[in-house]
Amino acid sequence: MAAESRVDVTGKPAAAPPTPADEPDGWRRLRPATPWAIGAIAVLAVIALQTQLYSGQVRTVSTVLMFIALAQSWNILGGFTGYASFGQVAFFGLGGYSTAVLMAKAGLSYWMALPLSAVIAAAFAAVIGLPLLRLRGHYFAIATLGVAEGLREIVINVPRLTGGGAGISIPVVGKHASTAYLGNDTFYIVFLVVAAATTVLVGVLSRSRLGYGLRAIRQDEAAAAAAGIDTTRAKVTALVLSAFCTGLVGSVYAFQQVTIYPERLFDVQITLLMVMMVVIGGSGTVLGPIIGATALQALSEYLRANFTEVHTFILGAIIIAAVIILPQGAVFFIRDAWRTRRLPLLDNVRTYRL
Amino acid sequence: MKVRTTTVAVTAVLALSLAACGSKGSRSTSGADQDQLTIGVSMSLTGSLAREGLLTRSGYEFCQQVINGKGGIPVGDRKVKLNLVFQDDTSSPDTAAQLIDQYNDKGYKLVLSPYGSAATEAAAAVVERNGQVMVDSLGADDTIFEKGYRRTFGVLSPGSEYAASIVEALHDLAKPTPKTVIFLSADDGFSKSVTTGGEKAARGLGMTVLPTQFFPNGASDVSAALSKAKALHPDVIIGSVHFVEGVAIIKQSKELGVRPQGFGETVAPPTPDFPQTLNELAEGVLGSSQWVSSGKGSDKWFGTSADYATAYKAKFGEDAQYHAASASAACLALVMAVEKAHSLQPDAVRDALASLDTPSFFGPIKFDPTGKNVTKQMSVIQIQHGEAVPVWPADVAQKPLIWPGAA
Amino acid sequence: MNAFLQSTVYGLLQGGLLALVAVGFSLVWGVMNVINLAHGAFVVVGAYVAWQLNEWLGLDPFIAMFGSMAFLFVTGYLVQRLLVNLVVNAPVFITLLLTFGLDLLLTNGLIMIYSGNYRAINTSYALKSLALGGVRVPVGRLLGCLLAVACSLLLVSLMKRTRTGLAIAATGMDRGAARLMGIRARHIYALTFGIAAALAGLAGAMLATVGTFSPADASKYTLFSFVIAVLGGLGNMYGALAGGLLLGLVESWAGQYLSGTLVNAVAFGLLVLVLVARPAGLLGRPFYESRLEV
Repeated sequence: MAAESRVDVTGKPAAAPPTPADEPDGWRRLRPATPWAIGAIAVLAVIALQTQLYSGQVRTVSTVLMFIALAQSWNILGGFTGYASFGQVAFFGLGGYSTAVLMAKAGLSYWMALPLSAVIAAAFAAVIGLPLLRLRGHYFAIATLGVAEGLREIVINVPRLTGGGAGISIPVVGKHASTAYLGNDTFYIVFLVVAAATTVLVGVLSRSRLGYGLRAIRQDEAAAAAAGIDTTRAKVTALVLSAFCTGLVGSVYAFQQVTIYPERLFDVQITLLMVMMVVIGGSGTVLGPIIGATALQALSEYLRANFTEVHTFILGAIIIAAVIILPQGAVFFIRDAWRTRRLPLLDNVRTYRL
Repeated sequence: MKVRTTTVAVTAVLALSLAACGSKGSRSTSGADQDQLTIGVSMSLTGSLAREGLLTRSGYEFCQQVINGKGGIPVGDRKVKLNLVFQDDTSSPDTAAQLIDQYNDKGYKLVLSPYGSAATEAAAAVVERNGQVMVDSLGADDTIFEKGYRRTFGVLSPGSEYAASIVEALHDLAKPTPKTVIFLSADDGFSKSVTTGGEKAARGLGMTVLPTQFFPNGASDVSAALSKAKALHPDVIIGSVHFVEGVAIIKQSKELGVRPQGFGETVAPPTPDFPQTLNELAEGVLGSSQWVSSGKGSDKWFGTSADYATAYKAKFGEDAQYHAASASAACLALVMAVEKAHSLQPDAVRDALASLDTPSFFGPIKFDPTGKNVTKQMSVIQIQHGEAVPVWPADVAQKPLIWPGAA
Repeated sequence: MNAFLQSTVYGLLQGGLLALVAVGFSLVWGVMNVINLAHGAFVVVGAYVAWQLNEWLGLDPFIAMFGSMAFLFVTGYLVQRLLVNLVVNAPVFITLLLTFGLDLLLTNGLIMIYSGNYRAINTSYALKSLALGGVRVPVGRLLGCLLAVACSLLLVSLMKRTRTGLAIAATGMDRGAARLMGIRARHIYALTFGIAAALAGLAGAMLATVGTFSPADASKYTLFSFVIAVLGGLGNMYGALAGGLLLGLVESWAGQYLSGTLVNAVAFGLLVLVLVARPAGLLGRPFYESRLEV
């Protein structure tokens, strides 16, 4: 019965599971500049990696970088505050479609369309943020999901602007092309820059006043408000930042794909992947989304290449196992293992089972 | 301090070791070995298009078996065996594009298309950039061929022909000749191409085209479109649809008492699932098919259409329909081009494809400058006693059209 | 007028079927705070079981549906007992991901067994329709809709009148207290999950009778369940029914009076509006809204 005393009305352990406030110990003992140095080396390593890859592998790694950026974006709101946006793909799609429309219809150059698309996504987030962020938990999740699905339907229903269900193509060759196609190598660098930038943003945020405010909201929103945090403003800011980054990624993705379709640009699977990557890596941390995105993306690529028939089936089984063994995320799992000097494989089950 | 030094050192070593393995470039040997030609295929084996993807794969596999069974493709003085490599694109176009890029790394310069227009269009863009060559089996949307690509060739008749062929068949054969027609269309690119082509054909033949009703791609409830159609009393209802919407139109018409003289639907009726799911309701429905087993023309690999149908059934135990035939034909076109070019080099194969002009079990294969196979005609089938029976054009028809078609 | 009546009737019938799809999802969410992303896959599994029984034994789908229910009840019970219970105290994302993995497993398992073919169960009567004035009422959908209503009523009386039902409700409200009262929460959770899965199986059998199914449909049904559960609100057994009927009606009217391609846009627009105006859903209880969940 000892375990029961820790359970409150909602069935959630009162002694909260690892929270983002406890960043892994390693970080704290380091000098403030060290993470930056490691980050810079990691970026250089990824650039060095590029010189060693075949062109198609470059594209595969670009996808990993894209998902790192997406997972970090989701992390800004979902990881820090616990407000799970299940419609994050709305900003991705909006960014992508803004780029396609601006380039195809308005003839803007890509380097103009890219920031504009991110701003459009962020502006949209600001508009929907106020009404939606009043909702809590699942209700927020489902409302954002509704927004994303609704947005897709709107895109389908204005074919004159967006091409509708037939998709829209960005002109990349000939005299209509406002910017020539960048090619796999350049997209690799662009995705890398976006991934690094979102990571830096999350890093800065995690030590900023806003970041602490967001974590406080995750712990207890009422208490956070009582402590003088303007919770509405903090939450909306987080959503807007997160949408800006997601829109940026969507814009690069759209240009990389050339032809985009509403089904893919607003695919709920993309949101699910973001959530999964953050949770498996460790939500609310800087490293977690990177680990989650890389691991999951590498795993699914490996499975697809080697188990043509059953790869999704195996992936499903691995996800179930991963969730049961490390529900708190890889970053926290490794930290606990480091501290206690043993692999707590079944500890989580003991904590979380019924 | 200690932590910092180790971490930095480890990271640096990691970076360097990554930089030390392999070298950049594009391999060019493994796809075109001396006695084996490896062709990469990205296919929707899971996800929303899994059913169609698996049918298409059967067609490709059958081609590989037949070609290799006859010793392989003669190239100069040697025989080259086909080796098809499949990977699952989970029905998403971006993954298909990524897989084509990966095949290029491995030196697989010749590829066969994924299933469906969206994935094929994404793949075509990559093929063009990489200097690969692709033969398209089932990406029928006309827009794929309107982008100025020079390295994608489609063996199938384009989307604009699908509904148009049904309209022409009705005009030729149906007595009394239908005067009004309404199109019910899904809202994706392929279906819209189909509808536009069909409307044009119907107007050209003097039919009245009632306002087209659209519904979402993949909708299993099309009742609203049907009740609007019902109020207009059309003679014929033509669905520019995929399987799910196609079945929904027939089932819900029955529920709602919509009774035109007959139904025509584009891609659903020729698939074996159609009469199986609908039973007697499927009777009399017209469908357009890329290929029928009574088609004319033959080639040295597969023989005639009838030979193809027999051999396919012997291998897979189910009747061949046009997904598989179209896939086999795409593979065949590539094989013929390799043979004609006496080479496995992509540029030579491309030129050979561009100048290909041959009969085949699938019908004539001859590409126009945009890469469309223009000489081939689509056939129209009608479900009669649970079988898809060719009724149009006259040279492949096996039975007369039953009209009015609706039970 | 006739067109209006027809689209209203058809929308209500369609909504009834959708309600049947969602009721189990709503139950699990309300009681256990688990969002079961594999719910749509359960629906499709139910359709396959009914279809298989119809193929092998020639059973009428309205009898075969009991087979679906039994099979899925056992599956659901075991899944909860052996898998979900292991992480049920973890933050809600975890159960979400677990069921996502389960969804991949089930959907692709079905593709491996049945190769993704489209199927349907054919009956001599399901597509017939009764003509009431100018309005046609299809028999299969009518039966499905009546079943949905019957299930909701049955579920309510189960929850209100039986010891097990009360135990489920109590566990949903305060598990700690319920356990102190001697309720075996592990068993009760598994039971709830089993009942929800059985209802999904029932819905699958009905859908197979009036339409078609293939493994690819699973995610569509999960999404429907999601929307309906929220529209109707949690903590009320009539919530799913109300949400389903509302969704069916709105989609039908949108198709009739706006463009057919706007159907989904209107449905999701309605969802967002309802949430913003009345966060607990139409019939939901405020308790479930304020419940801290993440």
